[in-house]
Amino acid sequence: MFQNTKCECGHQNPVGTVLCESCGKPLDEELLTDESALLEMRYDGVARRSQKANPHPIDRIWNFFSSVKIAVYLIIITLVGAALGTIFQQENTLINMTESSEFAAYYKEKYGTAGVIYHALGLSRTYESWWFILLLVMIGTSLVVCSLDRVLPLYRALSKQQIRKHLQFINRQQVVYAGPLKGDQEAWITELGKQLKRKHYRVWQEDGALLAEKNRFSRWGPYINHIGLIIFLLAVLGRGIPAWHMDQYLSLYEGETRQIPGTNYYIKNDKFTVDYYTDAELANNQKGTKVVKLYETKARLYACTESCDDPLNEPVLKEVVQHDIHVNSALSYKGLQIYQNSFQQRVRFISVHPTLTNKETGVQIGDFDLLMDNPAEKYDVGQYKLALIDYYPDFDLDEQKRPMTKTREPNNPAFVFQIKGPDTPADGEIYIYFAMPNEKSKVYEKLLNDSFKQRGDSSGRFAVSVENPVVDGKMNNIKYSEYTTFLNIRVDKAMPYIWFGAAISMIGLIMGFYWQHRRIWLRIDDGQLSLGGHTNKNSFGLRADVAWALGRTGIEVSPKSLDNRRNGR
Amino acid sequence: MGRYRKTIQYVILALVLIVGGYAVGNSLFSKSVVLKRGDVPPDFLLAGLDGGVHNLKEYEGKPLILNFWGTFCPPCRNEMPALQQQYEKWKDQGLELVGINLSEDKLTVESFIRQIGVSFPILQDKDKKTERAYGLKQYPTTFFITPKGKIQEVVIGGLLTEEEIESRVERLMKSSS
Repeated sequence: MFQNTKCECGHQNPVGTVLCESCGKPLDEELLTDESALLEMRYDGVARRSQKANPHPIDRIWNFFSSVKIAVYLIIITLVGAALGTIFQQENTLINMTESSEFAAYYKEKYGTAGVIYHALGLSRTYESWWFILLLVMIGTSLVVCSLDRVLPLYRALSKQQIRKHLQFINRQQVVYAGPLKGDQEAWITELGKQLKRKHYRVWQEDGALLAEKNRFSRWGPYINHIGLIIFLLAVLGRGIPAWHMDQYLSLYEGETRQIPGTNYYIKNDKFTVDYYTDAELANNQKGTKVVKLYETKARLYACTESCDDPLNEPVLKEVVQHDIHVNSALSYKGLQIYQNSFQQRVRFISVHPTLTNKETGVQIGDFDLLMDNPAEKYDVGQYKLALIDYYPDFDLDEQKRPMTKTREPNNPAFVFQIKGPDTPADGEIYIYFAMPNEKSKVYEKLLNDSFKQRGDSSGRFAVSVENPVVDGKMNNIKYSEYTTFLNIRVDKAMPYIWFGAAISMIGLIMGFYWQHRRIWLRIDDGQLSLGGHTNKNSFGLRADVAWALGRTGIEVSPKSLDNRRNGR
Repeated sequence: MGRYRKTIQYVILALVLIVGGYAVGNSLFSKSVVLKRGDVPPDFLLAGLDGGVHNLKEYEGKPLILNFWGTFCPPCRNEMPALQQQYEKWKDQGLELVGINLSEDKLTVESFIRQIGVSFPILQDKDKKTERAYGLKQYPTTFFITPKGKIQEVVIGGLLTEEEIESRVERLMKSSS
């Protein structure tokens, strides 16, 4: 369909123009039918950039994203999606599980049928799901396209404004004044211009017409806000780049040093502390309950300097930083953030300090240190030499009744020694030692050593045991970790960009919210003054400006009477 | 400004496709390392019980069986003798069989190997690094790797009988000829 877009003033407007770009005469058919209605001043009535008579397929895609209506729907859908993700716990917060079947079982057990559905729909991974990311990408696209399509024509329209506007344009503004003007018209206009300048307006004059304008920059606020949001969104998507983002959990018992997977760093847990409030510190209704006062991991971070990937040698570590990690106080080093996540009360042996005794004579031959992880293979105790010939960190028997270890953790460590000395056979005597000072272990220990004796591998006179294993209810001569701490290790290189985007966005918001773009047009035709004013917000302020300037030039009006919307209703 | 309008449109839509495609693709095909038939297994650098350092490249050009095992895992213990027998049967025809121990103490590993009489090379994983790189879910897991360095088969859980192992070894040997 052919649409005539040429205005009566002779200006050729693009398709979709609402108000003539030059004189401001309404062109839109709806606006022409009711001549007293207020004008639609959005984007100053210019056509959106992509509005075309014959759209190309690419233009159709472009137009889809250019629509504010579509943008609003996208935002609503995203909000609903994001809300769905908050119904049940998300998978990435369940740090002990890795497999889909484990997660499925967890949701079934914890939330029942609803949990099964939730997990099956993939809502347990809402924020990493393809559809959520796609929505974010679409919102981002919409932001770019909407802004570009509007800001460029608006910039063009505002940078070359016509001073003399069409009468209909002036009379249909939200703030209007019309009345006769006596005396020297040019002098009056100049005087009004002066008064408006005192209110910080920029004033342009053209025979019998005037344009005053203030705070145009606030119109760019929304677009600057959008630029900030685009940077923000791109930064969020940037977390998908592997080197930009790390979020993993590491468990460390007290005294343990572990490599942070994927980095050159090692972290050590020197000590973990959990402190509870005493009853005196608690409110009456909390007395007797355990309220945590402090979770703290005394941590050291090391960087590997030598033989880092050498499997034969222990890595050479250099301490780079030491920090007491507690809630809201993360260890931070070169972009690496280490947070306290949780803890577990779990006794884990580190080393024991046993004594070798001759049971027959009752003589203590000597004592030695025995590590639970990578124990040494040879020990010199008095005149005797002990060789460690087998080690089961978590002792058990397999189906064929052979000794084995149940797990890789030293939950019930058993050490098999070959003892050689001046009074032993040439190939020594065999002794099995259980480090755990509990009854069950000691029964096993006796049983097995008796069987060695029967086999003739042992005379039965030696004993390896910890002296005074329990003192005041605490283990003695035994080094152990009481707590295992769980640390959350994060790298988020996108964070500075997120802050930068957020700051730009804030600047845009402030520009748009705290200042208003105000414009006043007037023209005098045969002694009749017509004045129209427009602002994007706070029309009360604009009316006050107009009434004040008119008052200074001899036309007394009340600000209220300038409100065109009141007259219309 | 109309001159560049089309170009700008195409550039922006292309950027959206690239950035968006990357982000969405990332979320679609991400996370879990599950190795399957046809994949190239990740390299490793591990200490062997022989005192040397070994990597995957050493075995290139030969059919290779990688067996991840631990003394704490009964099916691993049970299939060890069968693996040893198969190794003896096929090693002259070029089969390489490597056992990667699941981050246990050297002493524990050596003592078990001695008991069973294993003669194929045993490497030691450290802090579960290689295990994680191979995306192991269950023990034992055995990878059958062709001379070209591609995975032919992944067997999760114990193979137990010699026949079961043998049929797979035969298939692997065939692929190499």
